[in-house]
Amino acid sequence: MINYIIRRLLGFIPVLFGITLFTFVLVRAIPGGPFESEKGLPPQVEANRMAQYHLDWPMSKQFISYLFGDDIVAIVTGDEAARDGTSRGLIRGDFGLSTKYRNQTVTDIIKVALPTSAQLGIMSLLLALFIGVPMGTLAALKQNSWIDYTSTFAAVIFMSIPNIVLAPVLIWILALKLNWLPVAGWGAKPPFFLGIFPPPSSLNKEYFQHAVMPVFALGTGSAAVIARLTRASLLQVIREDYIRTARAKGLTERVVIVIHALKNSLIPVITILGPLFAALVTGTFIVEQFFGINGLGKHFVQSVGNRDYTLLMGVTLLYSLFLVGSNLLVDIAYGWLDPRIRFD
Amino acid sequence: MFKKRNLLLAVLLLAAFALVACQPEVVTETITEQVEVTRVVTETVVEEGAAVEVTRIVTEEVVVEVPAEEPMMEMPVTLNWNFGTEPPTADPSLSTDTTSVDLVGNMFVGLTKFDPVSGEVSPYLATDWSVSEDGTVYTFNLRDDIAWVNYNPVTGETTQVTDADGNPRFVNAHDVVYGVKRTVDPNTASDYAYVLYIIKNAEAINGGSEEVTLDDLGVVAVDDYTVEFTLENPAGFFPAIAGMWVANPMPQWAIEENDSKWTEAGLIVTNGPYVMESWIHGGELNLVKNPLWVNADDVQIERIEGVMITEASTSFAMYENNELDTTGVPTTEIDRVKADPVLSADFYSAPVPCTYYYGFTNNKPPFDDVRVRTAFSEAIDRQSLIDNVTKGGQTPATSFAPPGIFGAPAPGTVGIGYDPDAAVAALESYLDEKGLTREDMTAMDITLMHNTSEGHALIAAAIQQMWKDVLGIDVRVENQEWAVYLQTIKNTTPLEEMPHIWRLGWCADYPDENNWIHEVFNANAGANRLRREPSQFDELTAQAGQEQDPAVRAELYAEAERILAVDEAAYAPIYHYTTVNVTKPWLTRNFPPLGANDFYNWTIDMDAKLEAQGN
Repeated sequence: MINYIIRRLLGFIPVLFGITLFTFVLVRAIPGGPFESEKGLPPQVEANRMAQYHLDWPMSKQFISYLFGDDIVAIVTGDEAARDGTSRGLIRGDFGLSTKYRNQTVTDIIKVALPTSAQLGIMSLLLALFIGVPMGTLAALKQNSWIDYTSTFAAVIFMSIPNIVLAPVLIWILALKLNWLPVAGWGAKPPFFLGIFPPPSSLNKEYFQHAVMPVFALGTGSAAVIARLTRASLLQVIREDYIRTARAKGLTERVVIVIHALKNSLIPVITILGPLFAALVTGTFIVEQFFGINGLGKHFVQSVGNRDYTLLMGVTLLYSLFLVGSNLLVDIAYGWLDPRIRFD
Repeated sequence: MFKKRNLLLAVLLLAAFALVACQPEVVTETITEQVEVTRVVTETVVEEGAAVEVTRIVTEEVVVEVPAEEPMMEMPVTLNWNFGTEPPTADPSLSTDTTSVDLVGNMFVGLTKFDPVSGEVSPYLATDWSVSEDGTVYTFNLRDDIAWVNYNPVTGETTQVTDADGNPRFVNAHDVVYGVKRTVDPNTASDYAYVLYIIKNAEAINGGSEEVTLDDLGVVAVDDYTVEFTLENPAGFFPAIAGMWVANPMPQWAIEENDSKWTEAGLIVTNGPYVMESWIHGGELNLVKNPLWVNADDVQIERIEGVMITEASTSFAMYENNELDTTGVPTTEIDRVKADPVLSADFYSAPVPCTYYYGFTNNKPPFDDVRVRTAFSEAIDRQSLIDNVTKGGQTPATSFAPPGIFGAPAPGTVGIGYDPDAAVAALESYLDEKGLTREDMTAMDITLMHNTSEGHALIAAAIQQMWKDVLGIDVRVENQEWAVYLQTIKNTTPLEEMPHIWRLGWCADYPDENNWIHEVFNANAGANRLRREPSQFDELTAQAGQEQDPAVRAELYAEAERILAVDEAAYAPIYHYTTVNVTKPWLTRNFPPLGANDFYNWTIDMDAKLEAQGN
């Protein structure tokens, strides 16, 4: 098991390197650069700014600078002037300086935005699981009953209403008409507890009032997906031989379902939980945009429009890291859920 | 067993989280304390056999319950403001956008400022200024009582900064010289350095010239409170430039100490009406009144709570919920706002000095002929576009610079407007001469390009239809993502890839025609996206920039505007922008046509605001 995890972690290195290289080249291939503007910068000013971010260097040299830092560039290329640069390199945890937000590093931006997105994402994921799994299970056990039809109907509704519609409708009803909730914002501010969690002092009514609508908007869509998957998978599992064996042993129906059937049927759910976790925790654009939440989602979209190369690289790598990491957790969970899976 | 214990642990953790979560926010406890109360007691005393009523004062201890709350604090006069986006910077040298300028304009002083109502250049840090006879040397006398201050987020106090010897620092001429040099310094990489190119040697220094250094820049401190600028050539608009944020005095010691972090809350040293209380990047930014500001008594709003809501409909919902005091109106809501009895009273559409225009590629057939360009410009019914599509009460434009800009012709006096008959006549004259038909024109695949946006698409569709109705010519509309689009319409793009017609807008940096018709369209000075050949127009705008007599300058600009819009019909001005806003009745605000929103001149009736919020 330990060997397996170490092997997988080592495997991350080429994957992440590949993503870094690929993204690095791709973002620079998009027409237009970070310093384009309607007014049009005078050539000298543009040249000054390009130099500040090393964009006047050949791409290979830029890549070395991004990955290893400017001192390594000086050693590799013999260009001693490179030592004046500020890049310390990705391997030393330096994501670089944002080109759009001129006094902020990408690390600064992520430190503020990621925790907020993560709090929203984790709560939405919990909501999705607490609704989705029981709803799917009930639907499967009472197949073709009114419970099944109601749950299917609800799932289809929530899967098909896009957040861009749901969010303004929620605001209109719950905030403007009923006056129950604030329109927008998030109840916790930096500095965050342990860098991620809301500070205990801010865990109050206001915090949860702000969270209700975005968590609902984000969580229900995922809950619907989880419910459908649970239902389909459980329907398949309860027809398996070992379930018949369990029943034949004289186990109660509750034990058969909860211990034997449900556990195995969760495999497809766990599989989508990996990417779902990575996506929810790193922020979602629409929900954060509509509820005025200062999360990471906007940076995925706006950094492309702004051609903010460093920020775009930063959020892409962060998302990749979460994705490969959560997929590893999913793979480990397989072994626990299904004894037939072995890590050799 | 191990697994089960883990599961149990997880459940416990979740339960703990839920418990913490359920704790009420404020525990309203009551404290019992003993208070001495004095009261008047009337009692009947039997005195010498006769009952007499006496009144006396007794003091006794009673037990009262008081809520354990702090004594009622006077709510500071607070403006709830939406910045709309994270300000890209709070550094005067680096600011280019309206959000950053709002921030800088309320925290820093400039040499001059634009009067928010009249839009004229008036004294600010400079009390007065004079110009040499040849018009190239400007001398500004500064006031000596503006303090450099810093807000301490821990104590919540604003204190005056002291120098190494412990003397309080006041803004002086050296700070102005430093600020100007910093903006021009190529190492600062300021996007707006070009605005200062009128100062002697600025362009060469900013371009990294080896012959001239920052010491050769045409700005010197004559004494502690007098600063002198030497210009490349006479420029009547220089006092306006001198008041721009890029020429603000800046705190050299603070910038050198904290480098790029000097604009963070707690570190930033400022000199304006407001100080920065906190800045959570991307989330919120609060300002508080600077108590050491020279005119602090005149500043009524004590606190500005700024959020950064990008989504216009959310910002508008917050306004309706009394969470914001003023906000922009999304185009989709304009009709509802105008019809609503309450909201329509809050509605105000104020002109902004920006112009929306369609540029023609002047060397691309068939737009290399002035008659075609004239026909396309005359076929645009600007008023109908404003009434039916943009709906914001914009002003139809026939020339480039909008009202309020020095030298701008009054709307409708210069240029060509909607005239379908003239348009058809101009087009037919061209077709007859070339022996072409309208079908031939359509076959030329005339392309109108705009950057991707719902608003631009609607305008393009409307104008496409006008051209079809009036001229009988089909035009293809295309759009590209902003940064790609800016590449496409550069004048270095091969002609075959260049659209015939393209959209752009221009907003004022300083209120002078030089910033408009000269910097944008002069073939020798600007980007020349129109791809014009230099003509008399280009001589006129250059000459006007150097002219000293304001009346002569205005005449020269009016003539230049006429040549470009009528004689050459090089572009089609469409409308001058407005900002469409709603403002709560308790807020009295300005709509400064230029520069920062002047929070320090606004007032709020706090009682009315609290009442509306239900407090």
